[in-house]
Amino acid sequence: MNQTVTVSITEDQRDCYQEISNVAMGQAADLLARLLDVKVILPIPVVNLIEVNELRMALSGIENTESVSGVCQGFIGNGISGEALLIFNDTSFADISSLLKYGGITDSSLELELLMDVANILIGACLRGVGEQLDVGFSQGHPVVLGQHVNLTDLIKAKNYRWTKTLAIEINYKIEGYDINCDLLLLFTEDAIGVLNEKVNYLLED
Amino acid sequence: MAIPVLICDDSSFARKQMARSLPEGWDVELSFACNGEEAIQAIKDGKGEILFLDLTMPVLDGFGTLAQIRKEDLNTMVIVVSGDIQPEAHAEVMGLGALDFIKKPASKDKIKEVLTRFGIL
Repeated sequence: MNQTVTVSITEDQRDCYQEISNVAMGQAADLLARLLDVKVILPIPVVNLIEVNELRMALSGIENTESVSGVCQGFIGNGISGEALLIFNDTSFADISSLLKYGGITDSSLELELLMDVANILIGACLRGVGEQLDVGFSQGHPVVLGQHVNLTDLIKAKNYRWTKTLAIEINYKIEGYDINCDLLLLFTEDAIGVLNEKVNYLLED
Repeated sequence: MAIPVLICDDSSFARKQMARSLPEGWDVELSFACNGEEAIQAIKDGKGEILFLDLTMPVLDGFGTLAQIRKEDLNTMVIVVSGDIQPEAHAEVMGLGALDFIKKPASKDKIKEVLTRFGIL
């Protein structure tokens, strides 16, 4: 029996994942824009099939010298499972705190609350958006704090995945006129990629 | 006579999706562009009497394309089709002269409704 199953995505499939992410991140950004009463600058989502140990490279929107905080949240639905990571540049919290009328005050516990609130909104909306387009209903697990005020390498070092390859979608949100920068990463497991590719093929053929 | 219709989006999947969502039996001559610069050229070549325009694109994005169309006073009717559904983005493209704004993924019914409303169909 062949033990090494080669997972891959074609250029058409990659393009399709990118467009699906584009629509989903727009829906998520709209919610964030309404919550904070700001304009969210939308990037072009980056879709890559990578080794889990190359995760650091997928987080291109954040410098390693920056102090960051992050949460992760597992999700599963119709045979597709994965994990969402939301990582904030720590300088973001003062502005988020002002925008949410906490008067710019930040301490670790308030920061954690803000982080969880924004994570719930962005991750939930993004997964809903992806799910709607692929006809999958995702259930989300509890968000888990990865770390606060650490550098990026240390933050993701704490993760220990059982999968080796992952389909990674990176969305870097910035907010116009504010020092808010966060990276939303959707990681689909190796086993999910085959199921996802089938769904995407259906959309491509349609 | 067939109307020259241009679909501008950086994603080939989105371009196809848009093309097959156009009303059936609508007599069009369809062209495609991958970014705003290509779209501007296609309009100048007479291929874009009606332009379906995405916003988030490399090279020249949808906002820049609308600004360029206005600056050069190009003859085209622009319908923005975008995943950026923030009210600000909507207001900005309308201010830049777009006919209307359709959120992605665009449905057949919505496209038909907009085209009918503007007397295009």
